Formats: sequence, structure tokens, C-alpha cells
Amino acid sequence: MRRSDLGEFEEIVLLTVAVLTPQAYSVVIAEELEQQTGKTVTTGAVHAALQRLEKKGFLNSEMGEATAARGGRRKRLFTVTLAGSKILHEVRSVRENLWGRISPQGLPQLNLGTS
Amino acid sequence: MGTHLPTRLTTTEPGHLVISPNHKPWYEPPRWADKLIERLCAPYLHEEVMGDLHERYQLQVEKLGEKRARRRYFRESLAFMRASVLKRKPTPHTNPMLITMLRHYLITALRNTSRNKAFSAINVTGLALGMTCFLLIFLWVADERTIDNFHEHNEDLYVLYQTIHSQDGVIGSYQLQEYGSLEHNYYADIDVHLKDKFPEVLYATQYATSYELPWGRSLTLQYGDDKHKLNGGTAGIDFFKMFNYPLLAGSAENALKEVNTIAISEKVSGLFFNSPEEAIGQILRYDNGLDLKVTAVFKETDNRSTLQFDYLISWKNTVLDQILLSEGQYETYVQLKPGSNPELFAAKIKDFQNEQFDYTDGYRCDFGIQPFGERYLVSNFENGKPTSGRIEYINIFSGVAAFILLIACINFMNLATAKSLKRAKEVGVRKVVGSSRSYLIGQFLGESLILAFMALALSLVIIFLLLPYFNNFSGKNMTLPLDEGSYWLFLIGLTVVAGLASGSYPALFLSSLRPVRVLKGITRFGRSASWFRKGLAIFQFSLSILLLIGTLVVSRQTHYVQNKHLGYDRENVIYVKIEGDMNNRYQVYKERLLSMPGIAMVDRSSEAPHNMGFEMSTPFKWEGQQEGQFIGFRPTSVGFDFLEMMDLEVVEGRGFNKDIVTDTSAFMVNETALKQMGMTDPLGKWISAWDKKGKIIGIVKDYHIASLHEPIKPLILDVKEGLYFGIIMIKTQPGKTVEALKSLETATAEINPDYPLDYQFMDQEYAKLYESEAIISKISNVFAALAVIISCLGLLGLAMFSAEQKVKEIGIRKVLGASVNQIISLFSREFIQLVLLSFIIASPLAWYLMKEWLNGFAYSIPLAWWFFALTGLAALGIAMLTVSVQTLKAATSNPVKSLRTE
Repeated sequence: MRRSDLGEFEEIVLLTVAVLTPQAYSVVIAEELEQQTGKTVTTGAVHAALQRLEKKGFLNSEMGEATAARGGRRKRLFTVTLAGSKILHEVRSVRENLWGRISPQGLPQLNLGTS
Repeated sequence: MGTHLPTRLTTTEPGHLVISPNHKPWYEPPRWADKLIERLCAPYLHEEVMGDLHERYQLQVEKLGEKRARRRYFRESLAFMRASVLKRKPTPHTNPMLITMLRHYLITALRNTSRNKAFSAINVTGLALGMTCFLLIFLWVADERTIDNFHEHNEDLYVLYQTIHSQDGVIGSYQLQEYGSLEHNYYADIDVHLKDKFPEVLYATQYATSYELPWGRSLTLQYGDDKHKLNGGTAGIDFFKMFNYPLLAGSAENALKEVNTIAISEKVSGLFFNSPEEAIGQILRYDNGLDLKVTAVFKETDNRSTLQFDYLISWKNTVLDQILLSEGQYETYVQLKPGSNPELFAAKIKDFQNEQFDYTDGYRCDFGIQPFGERYLVSNFENGKPTSGRIEYINIFSGVAAFILLIACINFMNLATAKSLKRAKEVGVRKVVGSSRSYLIGQFLGESLILAFMALALSLVIIFLLLPYFNNFSGKNMTLPLDEGSYWLFLIGLTVVAGLASGSYPALFLSSLRPVRVLKGITRFGRSASWFRKGLAIFQFSLSILLLIGTLVVSRQTHYVQNKHLGYDRENVIYVKIEGDMNNRYQVYKERLLSMPGIAMVDRSSEAPHNMGFEMSTPFKWEGQQEGQFIGFRPTSVGFDFLEMMDLEVVEGRGFNKDIVTDTSAFMVNETALKQMGMTDPLGKWISAWDKKGKIIGIVKDYHIASLHEPIKPLILDVKEGLYFGIIMIKTQPGKTVEALKSLETATAEINPDYPLDYQFMDQEYAKLYESEAIISKISNVFAALAVIISCLGLLGLAMFSAEQKVKEIGIRKVLGASVNQIISLFSREFIQLVLLSFIIASPLAWYLMKEWLNGFAYSIPLAWWFFALTGLAALGIAMLTVSVQTLKAATSNPVKSLRTE
């Protein structure tokens, strides 16, 4: 796997950063993901993904302000870079392209209640 | 915390805050998890990670309650335990030090080296010479230490010695003649007895040779018509079990086990037989009389072994008195059982003799053990114990090696410090840009390491070229063990130590410079720095002068012992050993020789006159002898013409005369013997040796009967022209040696056809007594020369530096009218002071050390003042010569040039 590839978790985290900007940092991202997916998401996992994404150049970061809840410590705030935006768009277009080409027989029907 | 990152606090819009700022209650997260994180987390990540954890905890508590939150907290903490967070690097930036900086240092070092070619050459050459000396000496020492230490059971092998305390003093030797018990003297079968008496002893063996002096000689082995003269010996059953002389045929168990058996070397086997296997079971005739069966063939003894033999005969034949021994004595070796305590054994055997016999008059006979491997280096008995020997030279040379390396390192240090003036600005700039002191130290140490490795490469080349010559005059066969990894480790270790030692001062000094002062142009060093440099130079020169004086004294003493008038004439004397039919046909042989060209005189002696080693005390009695008074006499039986031939002076009475019949039962003694016996008016008084009693007819003036290491001993001479051993001496007519040798060959072939001629020149044999001194003298000459060269290289460097530093001063002086002479003297004064001071320091030390060394000789040269004066002048001369080139260059330079630039 190339370094610039985007893992599934990384993609979701990157998207969440885009959603939460300018207040995107690990704790809120983890909370958000937990809410969205219903699964337990540790801050550590998010932190690691953020670090990887930053290394790959999809994210920028800077230190934010300190809060009492953090025991007076500062947080690291993330924003999506141009490269990050590009790869998100790419991934999205690949997905949409694929979705668009699915024939009605291609997927077994799910009863989602909104038929 | 976090100060190493550029930080910018963002102002956040309240609407986006997920956590309300007035979130009041604070829940304390579990402490231990924090501690863990604190421990393991990379410092630069610490703040955000801890913050994240705590913030999440607050949320969790609110959502899930404290209990579950605590459990979650544990999981959360663990989730941070990943490679990206764990402590690895102190900052998020990659560390440029390792690659980039190292490359930068390397480039700087190489540039500096090539910019100051002369300095670098002096530095590297000096260090390389020092290393060469060190490595050569180290090779020599290592080689000396391998001698006799190659045996597999080396750890358990010991040689026995005895120490006899009596009224005459303490005498120690490797011969245990006294060994025995009340019932029996076990000296001859000491091997069996030792194993019986002492449970620690696994094996024991006797060993003696048949070819060494005083009355040994090469004996013949014969198979069919093949006959060869060979050097061999005799040893006990256990010999091949104890020592590693690998057997090519036969077994260690059976070799020498039976009477009339012999083990021969591969060489001997090759002389008679086609293969070692074929040799086994064959019968060889020994010394034209005794038939011996070959039981083993062993590999040649090499020069790592002090025991040298072409063949070994079973000890049982020696007990039967069928084997000629070089002396009536032999050495005894034991191998202790593995794991037994040698000290315990030593304690037991020490008083073995004394416990059985009631010795009186303070007489006692102690036994002692010495590790076999030490026997070669420590074999001189002092106070009854082996305490000195070649080991002293090893120590001296190791010291010299270390000194020379030290001198070379100091050179390096001195030059680097001197040169540092030029580099002060570099250091200033580096510091301003942000280099820390430790980086600078690392840089300068690195540079000296690079130079040290260059020196190592150079010195390996030099050693490679020199080794054949060094082997030649040290009489060894050494090679650089470059195929051994451990030797490389040693070389690299040595180089690193030398590099660090020589780079340490410059590194510390340079890195301590204050950038502001340096960059302002204040580059004068303080007095202490210049004194330090001078101190080093003085130290270096003191060592060189010490070595020079030492060399001078050693070579003078060597010259003295080799050329001293010994009281007899050893020129033009050839001698052959008495063997075969020689004794019976002595008179015929003598007549025949005297009738032939080139021969001036023929006579015989039981001992070679230059080295009469045989000493006994109990067989001698004399008129007026006190009760219990014994003197260690050197008894020698000679022919009638001995005194005339050796040109000995008779101070009282007369010499032997063949026309006086009673002279065959008469004795002569030397002055020392007379003095020790306390005899006055000796002529006509009786003296006896063994069962021969006779009158003293004359007193011989003292002459040196052995090496000059020992004082002249009491000598007793008588005439015996029928002894089966000893030597026949032939005095040749001066300048007619070639004819004489031809005559000798013819006559020997006629009279004694069974024995090939084997002759020695007495003056050469005498010189051999001082072989080790001669080698020492040669080696020390070379190393003293090297030490001086290295020191002078250092001085040259200092002079260059000094000239460079004073370029403007000289310019100004010249402009103001100073003459070339004035400038030269101004310049030289500094160096003359250095050398003089070194001389003052070195002389007393040299005087003391040389006095000690000369004490090892009973006859030595006096330590004359001119040794010191000469060395001092030489040192001064060499130093002046070295600096004069620089001085002259500086003094004759054009002042316009030096003053033009500013």
C-alpha cells in the first residue's frame, strides 16, 4: 500500500475533520464518530489516524487554546489541506461513479423502510 | 512544555465549542494512567495526549458514570500506547546531526587536512611512527609471551626448583639433586615418586638434553649406513602426555614407556625413512653403541618452544647411565590434576625434604614450583627463587612503547592546539550560528580520530615494509596477525584511544573559546595555554633525552662487555668438542694438527674458557679449611699448554709443566679462590678435589671465567689429559684461519671419522653470551632514534607555528632595523630554553634508571658525565637544526610582504 493511499478509517476521520473545522481535534472527532457509528472509538485511535494523515500531507495542525476540562492543556486543531480535499474528492467521485453504474439487479434489495 | 514548537493560539468562536467553557465540575482521572503516559509518551506529544485523555474522561464521566468512565479511561490510555506516540525522539523534527552534520564534519576535517598539508603530514607521520613503534614492540612482546605457552594443559604445567639455604648463602636451581627420602635418593626416578607422594600430581617427567654445553654435544643416530649428527635429549614416560608436541605416528601412551625406546622428529624420520608410519618399530643406533626402537614420530619443535630436541630417548636408559647428559642434572616438570590448587601443592612440597631430615647449621632445602609458561621469561634465580630474566626487558620495552606512543600523541596535541589559532574564528562562527559545546568537542575529536586512522593506515604500511628487517635482527619470525578479528579490534581500539587522547586537549580548549572575543579578533591565548604547550614539549623532550641517554649507556656497556680485556686471549681460538675416538687419540690428533699449516697451538679443557659454568662446593677440601666452610669452586681440567695458549698470567709460583712428573697431581687456583679460602703463603699447601689430592703450585691472576653478569668466581685448575668430555682448543696463526680450518677438517676426518667436524670460534661464542644485550642494544638504538625523530617533528611543528604567529612582529622588527642574526637568536632562545629544561628534568632520572640497569652487571662502565653532556648537546643540536630552517625562513622574509596585509 502506498503511503498516500487513504484507509477507510482515515477517510472517515478526514471527513469528520472537514465537518468539524475549525474545532476539529481528537476528542471531538472521537465523540462524533462514536455518535455516528455507534461503536466505541478511542481517542488514541483517532490521534494516530490524525498523525498519519498529517504525515501524508492531508491535514495541517496547530495548537489551539487550553480548556479547564483538559486540565489547562492546549489541544491540537486540525484542518484539511488542499491535498486532503483533493483526495476526498477523488474518493468520492470514484464511489459516486461506481454507485451510478450499479444496475438494479446488482445489489440485493434491502428493505430500508423507504421503498 | 511544548515551547519547542511554534505555537499560535487560535481564537475560537464560542458557537462551535463542543464543550461549554463553563463546564464546572472537574473529575480527577486515575493517577497511575497519567504517570504511565508521562513515562512513555514522547515529550513533544505529551501535552496534547494528556489533554485529550482528560477531556475525554470528563465527557465519559458525565455520560457513563465514574465507574465505567474509569474503565474506559484504561482503554483510552492503552489506545495511545502505539509506536507513533511512544517516546522515540525528543522533537517532531528529524535529527540532522547524524547524517548531515557528520558529513559536514568529515568534509571540514578533510579540508583542514589538505589546507595545512605540512601540519597534517607532520601530525600523521608522527603519530604513524609512534604507532609503528608501539605495534612492533607489542608484536615482539606478544611473541615472547607465546613462548612455552602453547601447551594445551599450560595452566596445570609447572617446573620444580630447589632453594638451598646454607652458610654460604642461598642457591636456587631447577635441578632437584637433593630430592629423596631417608631410604633412598629419588632424584633419578623423581617422576614416579612425585606421583606416589602427591595426589595432586597427574603426570611428571624429567627432561635433559645431550647437546648443550658444558659437556654435551651433538650425537649420532644411525640406520644402516645412514648416519646423522643430531641434537636430542631424554625424557620420562609422561612427557608426550603433558606437552603438545603432536605425534604423527605412535601414541603418547606408549612413547618412551619401555627401556631402549626413542621418539624422533619428523625431520629425523625423513632422514632415514620414507614415512613416519614406516619409522615405527625400526631400530636406530645411538652414539655408535646403543640400539633403540622408534616408538613415536613427533612434529618438529618450533621456536615457540624452549625445549628443543630432534629426538628423545626413554628416561630408563638415562637411569641405566647409557645416555650422555649435557650436565649431570635435569629439570623436572609436573602436570597437576585439573582443578587442583597449585598453592596447596606448593605448600606441601616446600618442606618435603626438610621434614624428613634433621638438617643442622641452618641448612635447609626447600622445593618450589613455577608455572611452566613463565620459565622462559623468569629464569634467573635471585635469593634462591626465579624472579628475573627476560621479563625485565619485556617490561622495559613495553614502557618504551607506551612512552613513544605518548610522545607521538603529545605531538599531535601540541600541533593541534597551536594550529587552533587559525581555527578560532571557525569556532566563533560555529558558536554564533548555534553549535553547542558538545558538538564542537565531537567535531574536533572526530577530526583527530580521522587523522589517527590515517596514521594507522600509514603505520601498517610501514610495519609491513619493516617487519622482515625487524624479524631479522630480533631473531624472530613474526607476522602481523591481520587475519584475526581480535587484532583488528585491538588496532581500532588503539587508534581510537590515541585519537581521543591526542584530540582531547585541543577539543576542550577550542570549544571553550568565547565567540565574542574570538570574532572581535582577540586571538591571543592566555599564558596558561602557551605554558601548557610548552610543558608538553618539555615532557616530550625529557622522554626523548631519557631514551637517548639510556641508549647510549646500553650500547657503551654492550661494547664494553664484548671488548673488555678478560685476562685471557680469545682471539684466533677455534674449539671442537671431544667425542668419539677423540679422547683416546688426543695426542695423535694434537701432533697431527701441529704439523699442519695455520695451526699455532693445540690444547684441551673440560670447559670452554669463556664460560666455565660448572660449580661445586662439597668435593673441595684444603689445608686450613674451617669446619663447615665451603666455597663454590669452578673446577676445570686442562692440558699442559692451557696457560700459555690463553695467555694467562701467573702471579705466584709457576704454571703446569709437562716435564715435571708430579704436575699431573698438582693444582692451581685463582686469586679469588685464594682470598675466599683465606689461605696465606699457598704454594706447596695441599688441596683436594673429589678423591684427587695435590699441592698448589701456582696462583693464576683473576680472569673472567664466565659472563660479566657475574663476578669472578673461585677457580681451581688441574691437568687431566684423559677426560672423555670437554673441548679441544686450536689456536690458529693470525690471519690464517682458512688454512687452519682446512687442516682441522683433514685431521678430524683422519682421527675421528665417525663424527663430522663441528667447530666454534671462541670470540663468537663469547659474543653469544651477550646475545640478548646485543639485541636489546640494537632495538633500543632504533627506538631511541624514532623517539627523537617524533619529538623533532613536534618541535618543527611548533617552530612553524611560532614563525607564523610572529610574522608581523618580525616584519616590524626588520623595518625598525633588526638584523637577521638578532631575529634568529630571538627565535631560537625559546626553543633552547625548552630543550635545556627538558635536559635538567631528564638527566637525574636517566642517571637513576641507568644505575639500576648497570647494577645487573658485575662489571660495568662508570656513568660518566660526558654521556649526559653528549646527549644534551645532541638534543640541543638536533632541536636547533630542526627549528633553524623555519627560523631562517622567517628571519629572511621580506617585511613588506608580511606587513602589507592587515
